[in-house]
Amino acid sequence: MSGKEFFVGRYEELGWIYNEFESKPSIRINTMNVKKADIVKRLESLGIVLEKIPFLENGYWIRKSEFSVGATAEYLLGLYSIQEAAAQIPATLFTGLENKTVLDACASPGGKTVQLADLMQNTGVIIALDVKRRRLGALSNQLERCRVKNTIVYQMDARESSRLNTKFDRILLDVPCSGNYVADKGWFSRRTLKDVKKNAELQRQILAEAVQVVKDNGEIVYATCSLEPEENELNIDWAIKTLNLEIEKIKCHGEKALTNVFGRELDSSIENCRRIWPRQTQGFFVCKLRKQACE
Amino acid sequence: MKPIKDFVGQFRTSIDLDESLIVKKQNRYFLLNEDLKRHVQRDFFYAGVYLGKVKGTIFFPSFTLLAMIAERKANKVIVDKKTAWLFICGRDIFKRGILNVTGSKRKGDYTLIQNEYNECLGFGKILRNMREEKDKNKVFVKNILDIGDFLRREKSASFKHKI
Repeated sequence: MSGKEFFVGRYEELGWIYNEFESKPSIRINTMNVKKADIVKRLESLGIVLEKIPFLENGYWIRKSEFSVGATAEYLLGLYSIQEAAAQIPATLFTGLENKTVLDACASPGGKTVQLADLMQNTGVIIALDVKRRRLGALSNQLERCRVKNTIVYQMDARESSRLNTKFDRILLDVPCSGNYVADKGWFSRRTLKDVKKNAELQRQILAEAVQVVKDNGEIVYATCSLEPEENELNIDWAIKTLNLEIEKIKCHGEKALTNVFGRELDSSIENCRRIWPRQTQGFFVCKLRKQACE
Repeated sequence: MKPIKDFVGQFRTSIDLDESLIVKKQNRYFLLNEDLKRHVQRDFFYAGVYLGKVKGTIFFPSFTLLAMIAERKANKVIVDKKTAWLFICGRDIFKRGILNVTGSKRKGDYTLIQNEYNECLGFGKILRNMREEKDKNKVFVKNILDIGDFLRREKSASFKHKI
């Protein structure tokens, strides 16, 4: 069970008509390092045409640039990061991040880790994990470039977070996923439903471990850039029925998530998650979970 | 700690670092704060502010350390826009691109390179006594390290980006 026809057919069944879509390049201003107005002015003076992303406080689409926005002095000085628009959403869903202890469980290459540090204004502590050593170099470079000061990085599988002996106020689960065709041109030829199910199982294991290390009433933001319901709605339906979690209402870009998947009725609170079909951004799924306090 | 102090001293300045908050991981130095110190475990990969690393007898500073030095009164050369760009691309600095010099102008000394916004772009070694040399087309500062290094690292690592 694979191929473009198979997956596009599934999307239609879920109520969405497939379209060819090219994601627009976008940046996010690191406000811990520069005032937004100042950097916008500087980039415009370089001939870069920016367009404010309406649903993000510090995000801009690059409308026009004669050169790569990854090769300016301003980028190398950490004044902004290159981050896809939808990928900028998850970190903004947490409340009151300053001075908190935060786990970024699947952190490389570090775009969202830097964003968390920015939202925390370099206060508190971020513990950033990635299971693959070769990816930690990229993560460390991002942290150094963006002058992040509040982060500790470990090579660790997110499913072993308990080894840290720390209880977290906030956890970001930007879990490994199957991705989507917008971000990966060869997606349809490479992915199978078997891959999707395998990733979904891994994601459940990561979710289950996160619940072990989050404080009572602590927040978990779960995100994927997959369009497949096994990795999104079905996983969250399983999580709220199994892991003492409840879904929080969120206000962000995207549509209400599906509460009926291929004829299977899910918990009605799933509609508080957000599913983003590729239109203005790449495909994405995001939701905010809260661990219920023990009686 | 000594390699850091010695390196900073080459810019004719010093910075106060709380030694109890500096940790050495193999050949790399990191500066923590009290919060991070409470959380950090022995097997960390990166923590707090990366200060630099020692290879053999040479200390290789991080850009964060250079920015910390730049906050102090130290040897600095401020360059114009075009020169700043060329410096980031790995080029040396000619006298014609220099807008201002603070601290040492003496051959052999190290100096930070800053752009018009006083942002630190890296550092270099002064090749000629600036007071004496009149020729604007001669190299005055040899590039030793610039922030374009981040791009060079990415290229050599050839890692795949997750968006």
